[in-house]
Amino acid sequence: MEDRIKAVVSAVLNISIDDINNDSSPDTIESWDSLKHMNLIVALEEEFEIIFDEEDFEVMLNFQLISLTIREKI
Amino acid sequence: MKYSELIKANNELQNDSDAQYKVAILSNIMVHQTKEICEYLLRIENVNANVYLGDYDNILQDSLKFKNFNAVIIFWEISNLIDGFHYKANLINDIEYKNLINKVKTEIDLIFSNLKETSLVLVNRFSTLAFDQSSLNSTRMGELKNILNGHLYNHIKSNVKIIDIDKVISKTSVSSSTSFRYYKSHKTLYSVDFFREYFSYINPIILSVNGVTKKALIFDCDNTLWKGVLGEDGVNGIEMYQEVQSIAVELAKQGVIVGLCSKNNYDDVDDIVKHHKGMILNDQHIVIKKINWNDKVSNLKEIASELNINMDSVVFIDDSEFEVNLVREHLPMVKVFLVPPREYEYSMMIREVSGLFYNSNPTSEDIQKVGMYKTKLKMIKSEKEISNIEDYLKSLEIEVSIYADDIRIVKRISQMTQKTNQFNLTTKRYTETDIEKFIKSDSVSVLAFGVKDKFGDNGISGLVILDISINKVFIDTFLLSCRVLGRNIEYRLMDAIIDLAKKSKVKVIDAEYIKTLKNEQVEDLYDRFGFEVGQRVNNSWRYQLDVKKYQSENFNYIGLKNGR
Repeated sequence: MEDRIKAVVSAVLNISIDDINNDSSPDTIESWDSLKHMNLIVALEEEFEIIFDEEDFEVMLNFQLISLTIREKI
Repeated sequence: MKYSELIKANNELQNDSDAQYKVAILSNIMVHQTKEICEYLLRIENVNANVYLGDYDNILQDSLKFKNFNAVIIFWEISNLIDGFHYKANLINDIEYKNLINKVKTEIDLIFSNLKETSLVLVNRFSTLAFDQSSLNSTRMGELKNILNGHLYNHIKSNVKIIDIDKVISKTSVSSSTSFRYYKSHKTLYSVDFFREYFSYINPIILSVNGVTKKALIFDCDNTLWKGVLGEDGVNGIEMYQEVQSIAVELAKQGVIVGLCSKNNYDDVDDIVKHHKGMILNDQHIVIKKINWNDKVSNLKEIASELNINMDSVVFIDDSEFEVNLVREHLPMVKVFLVPPREYEYSMMIREVSGLFYNSNPTSEDIQKVGMYKTKLKMIKSEKEISNIEDYLKSLEIEVSIYADDIRIVKRISQMTQKTNQFNLTTKRYTETDIEKFIKSDSVSVLAFGVKDKFGDNGISGLVILDISINKVFIDTFLLSCRVLGRNIEYRLMDAIIDLAKKSKVKVIDAEYIKTLKNEQVEDLYDRFGFEVGQRVNNSWRYQLDVKKYQSENFNYIGLKNGR
């Protein structure tokens, strides 16, 4: 599942999969701005057929937290 | 294709060359997901689109900032005219309400005025579907929507197209098009699925101004124009698909080339077309028939070459999966549709097909087109019989009429710049607004050419746009419609340019050839006219001609006169 999330993050942010680690966040990746973050959430919802809650948006601050949030949903 | 896959595919299609089609999307809500979706859907059609997003809720100022872009698209949401309007609308007092109406009307006027020279402006009709779909009572939002839409239609300019966004919303359904969740958290009203549908819906407009248009609709016969197999079920055993045929007739009347490509005996099909009572489509509408036992790939190739159109402007419909796949494999640029198993599905599909043939303003040339293409095909036949081409051309009694800066034919002139790909030296696309500007300008001369011969009138089929300065003329545009190619008409157009240069006492003519994938046939045109080749920059070659040294080919058998 980790790999599927990475694939989506890599596509949406236009970065290489190798550049993504648990700490990756808008602070460490230049192309990860608030608009891209929104696109990422939409793409992840589609990929995993889940719906995030508004509270989730505030938690999903880096790759590891995103991955944990998704795990809780499926 | 998932949204993330689309973003990835779009990044792979990114091309930073100079030839970009720049689109600005302005909005008073967040629509940032439009960027990749719009770019991708245009890039796969070979339009190198780059989308720029305006600032959030800044349509008026952005209309100034982006007015020089190729296209501007406006998403203006009633629900966010003021923050929370979707729930405040019925509560605000009458004065506030009136002020709001006047404010938006004034903004519409200012925006249209700021964008009056932009080639293409698409503005969505105001919609309230997301908010009042369940309301039986009329609402203030609904009333405001009608007032503002009325204002849009009353103040529309020729470069503006109003898009009925409700059609797109209903196609994807209100609940999949819009999301209250994202609207509340991020002011993002529309879903990714909606945007895909939206850009597929408007794409034919953008593609047509980029010269990517579908021109021909070719039908198989058995189980495509009628139900049943003629060879097996016989004349009385087949049943016409009247709805499909009627839509084909409608398209033919708008200038779409309708043709047949079927494995059958020619005489059998010909007999049905001519005599079957149920046939709605007949020889009056059908331009070309390839009815034989050859493979469909060869037949479609012949159709394109005889009509002198590109393979990528052909749409083909067939009921056989085998044929459909064969054509898709060998001619991937042809858009192919498989007849669906149920007749009502076919009725739905043919509407989707007809949407591909977008024509913003059909001109009288379009309406005469069936006749003109037929004349052209008749000529190909007689061309085969006459061996000496020169004698043949002399026998045609060709006459070229010059229409200089003629405001009445702006529509046709703009259309030629947008549709002509092969005999087009610079392939510059201009809208009607652009052409009007040129015609009114003293330093630009727009010469349109009508071409007639003994077989018929081809209408306005040639165009030259000249930039005239004190001692130089620059040929900005030089094009001929494909239906008049191969008749030495280009030489007479050059004679006309020289006449004008001499009258303006100009000594030097500059010209340019910009190579595209489709205009190879004119790469030596200026060499043939006697120009000196100059500097080359990327795909563009500069040419120069000393007016004194020009030697006309003297194709005097082609008449040249002023039209009126």
